[in-house]
Amino acid sequence: MTTTEIAPPIRPVGPLPKTREKMGRRFAYGFLILSIVPILIGYSWLVIATFSFRTEGLLPRNAEGGIGGFTLRNWDFVTDAAIWNAMLNSLLIAVAMVIGVGVASAAGGYALSRFKFAGRKAFLTGTLVLHAFKAEMLLIAIFFVLRSLGDIPIIGGFIGFNTVGGVALVMIALELPLGIWLMKGFFDNLPWDMERAALIDGASRFRVWWQIMLPQVRPGLAALSLFTFIAGWNAYLVPFTFTVGSKVANMPVFLNQLISDTAPTNWNQVAAVGMFQMVPLIIFFIFTQELLLNIYAGGSKGT
Amino acid sequence: MTPPLEKEALVRAAVGEPGSTRRTLGRRVRSTATAYGFLGPTIALVLTFFVVPGILLLILSFTDLASVNFGDPWNFVGFANFERLFTDRFFPKILRNTVFYVFTTLILFNLGLALVLALVTTNIPRRSGFFFRLVWLLPRLTPSVVYILMWKRIAQAEPFGIYNQLVPEFLGASGGNLFLGGSPWTFVILTNGFIGASFGMIIFTSALLSIPEDLLTAAKVDGASTWRIIRDIKLPLIKWPLLFIATYQTLSLLTSFEYILLLTEGGPGLFTTEVWALTAYKRAFASYAGNSQWAFGATWAIVLVTVALMFAVVYVKLFKFKELIQEPRIDNL
Amino acid sequence: MRVELDNLSKSWDGVVGADRITLDIADGDLVAFLGPSGCGKTTTLLMVAGIYKPTGGTISFDGRVVNEVAPKDRGIGMVFQSYALYPHMTVFGNISYPLRIQKVNKGEIRERVQRVADMMGIGDLLDRNIAQLSGGQQQRVSLGRALVKEPQLLLFDEPLSNLDARLRLSMRGEIKRLQDGLGITSIYVTHDQVEAMTMADKIAVMSKGVLQAYDVPEDLYDRPKTLFVAGFVGNPPMNFFDVEIMRTDGDFRAKSGAIDLVLPADRAEKAAAAKGKVIMGIRPEDVDLVDDSAPAGEGLTLTGEITVVEPLGREDLLGVGINGVDMHVLVDKARGVRVGDSVDFVFNTSRVQFFDPETELSFLWA
Repeated sequence: MTTTEIAPPIRPVGPLPKTREKMGRRFAYGFLILSIVPILIGYSWLVIATFSFRTEGLLPRNAEGGIGGFTLRNWDFVTDAAIWNAMLNSLLIAVAMVIGVGVASAAGGYALSRFKFAGRKAFLTGTLVLHAFKAEMLLIAIFFVLRSLGDIPIIGGFIGFNTVGGVALVMIALELPLGIWLMKGFFDNLPWDMERAALIDGASRFRVWWQIMLPQVRPGLAALSLFTFIAGWNAYLVPFTFTVGSKVANMPVFLNQLISDTAPTNWNQVAAVGMFQMVPLIIFFIFTQELLLNIYAGGSKGT
Repeated sequence: MTPPLEKEALVRAAVGEPGSTRRTLGRRVRSTATAYGFLGPTIALVLTFFVVPGILLLILSFTDLASVNFGDPWNFVGFANFERLFTDRFFPKILRNTVFYVFTTLILFNLGLALVLALVTTNIPRRSGFFFRLVWLLPRLTPSVVYILMWKRIAQAEPFGIYNQLVPEFLGASGGNLFLGGSPWTFVILTNGFIGASFGMIIFTSALLSIPEDLLTAAKVDGASTWRIIRDIKLPLIKWPLLFIATYQTLSLLTSFEYILLLTEGGPGLFTTEVWALTAYKRAFASYAGNSQWAFGATWAIVLVTVALMFAVVYVKLFKFKELIQEPRIDNL
Repeated sequence: MRVELDNLSKSWDGVVGADRITLDIADGDLVAFLGPSGCGKTTTLLMVAGIYKPTGGTISFDGRVVNEVAPKDRGIGMVFQSYALYPHMTVFGNISYPLRIQKVNKGEIRERVQRVADMMGIGDLLDRNIAQLSGGQQQRVSLGRALVKEPQLLLFDEPLSNLDARLRLSMRGEIKRLQDGLGITSIYVTHDQVEAMTMADKIAVMSKGVLQAYDVPEDLYDRPKTLFVAGFVGNPPMNFFDVEIMRTDGDFRAKSGAIDLVLPADRAEKAAAAKGKVIMGIRPEDVDLVDDSAPAGEGLTLTGEITVVEPLGREDLLGVGINGVDMHVLVDKARGVRVGDSVDFVFNTSRVQFFDPETELSFLWA
């Protein structure tokens, strides 16, 4: 082990002996690096493939089979109107969700946190149950609900089956339990005296919410917005289930069509479209790291 | 002026003046109305997309509605769908698949790896731990279609698959030629596990970081090894988060099928990786010979809904519900 | 404005917050609600404010029952312990908020806010953010916000508790001067008896949701009606002894195993009528070291052993054991007594109090 020519100074009571600690550290880092290898490899392939003629494993190959073959050809799709249409649909869904979930959660969370009313307890329990419940199981029945919504005169054309509005509505409903629960938590932490002061100053409950309380939960609302935007932007199952054809397809549905419709799959072009789709996510990832980690823990508030 | 001091004063609850109740009734109705006003959008959405579909799903499961008889009035068939479900030739296989998939993923990744990651990343310097957790969050942020695309490429046969290129090179040929078609379960569990582990990791991390530093220092002073500190102090203190993740994730795994749908569609072959939730979805939406069997799909789904509701009740109990409800400290006048 | 509380009560699912509080507040008076935390004083205040809804009894402003009137229509201003300022608004935004809700025109808002702010000495801080202000300044803003709408009634909920000791002293005087000058009826909730004694015209002492006493400050101190008030008001607190009152040769004597004191007739007469034990109280400053140059009368001194000497600066507080009974004594100068010394004390028996151990009511004032 270590040489002991020099008598070690009497160490204050502290962590484990240095060598064992060092070994532990090395083991820890080794394990962690190993654990993220598949993740890193996946993304590496995405980046390499995007700019390559074709790939074998992680190696870019040119037409002759040698290493190389750098090309921008995979990005030709940016001149295709269909992808911009898909992007617009994705954006519409995501923005509608940010607004819809934001407004409904900010109002509902406030009522659940701050109001005395008949049925409050039932509402709180219901929110929590829905929070755990996964609505994917209801998709079959939601299909029929959406068809009926489509029969409503005038607005039916915007919110029924096979419309971007309908998809957005379903997505809003799915994210709502989490949103309400999060916002309720944020309102719970605000001081009662501030609200009392506003009531005494002459404000109505609505005005208190709008002018006094909402500004205090802005960070929470921002986190929720980020979370719902990502959920909306990435949405696949609901748009896939409730839309037919490319006109109402969002980016993930468009991409999946690209994968299955072209045979054999042009992996490099598909990778480029995937990469393109991740641009806003990468921006969020770089600039809001801490916030991201926090909001993905948000669903568990209170345990 | 001064009321006589009475010892039983505390015991006796103050009772409202007679007559005051009637006048306050109107007030109470109005304040409840205000609250429901705030909850309006929520109530509308929950009714439309949770309550009505839930009831509809139950009703559907007693009909024979499919795309072939869509225009006709609904025909009620009693428990025929349930009979068909439980006598289905592939019912035992799907059930086995579901149980295998849920518990393997849960134990290996959503709980096991999540816990190890949380323990390890909290035992190294803060910035490094943060970095690794962030990388682990990436799969969760990635669109499911893109994420599965990566895994498909990783799991392809030679010469395109990344695994089959790298593993023989670094580990010798022994691990060679593992591909999606050959070992579908491995990849189904890996893809879901890499998403699932990060949620537990984040929750466990925040629970571990909230353990008072003094407690750990005291244990170190007492000469406890890292392993003993984990076993004797950390694990008992994060018992509740562990239970919470176990229920929450069991339910998630049981009901989510998006990644399997994208990766294998339940294949390859007949029902190889098909789980319960996926069956429900495929019966209703992926047409068999041009026929979407909505009612039969609903039957599969309603069984799962029942199970999920039972889990949700456990989950609510685990949440220490009472502590989460604080009495509002403003009465509405 | 005159405020009357009549049997005002509040309970939550059987937990009593305030139990049949009855008191009158004269127009222009400052009344302090004094009591330990959890005694129901803030609950009562919030009922007056209209934030809590009474479960029983009535609140009247100038004879009009306001139980059902919303807080905004009660014509009140309130100052909170936490200041409760709106952190996303400037000082001007905070003070002007009540006026903006009333849709007062812009010019008048400017003028009234400036006037109130000048009065509070924060006239030059109107554009500041709340976070840039000290605690004292924040409390002034809060006071300004309460005053700007020219309320009929001012409510204070422990407004000085978050300030440091020095600031508390100066704000205390300032609030009192302001309230006197404006003549606004005020309710002032506090757990600090010095604050209550120095500021209030009358003090309502509360404990466990029950109003224990409602009196002018001097009477609370010198003529406490209940044992609780006697023990609660005054710091260090009054000393209590279980004694029996004997009447021998026309003299009243308080006797127990430890104590034997001669009492003046006007103090002892009513207590003597009671059979058995009574509780005798005497304040620490009404006991003194025997001064050899001025000998005390017979039966007014007792010998005790010093257990603690605490120099308080201006005075010294002694812990004394008299035949096993502990008491506090406040003396001007300890004159070199030390722990363990056996010393004679003279009791100012003309200031003793007597309470019935059963009803805890005073024999003298109740």
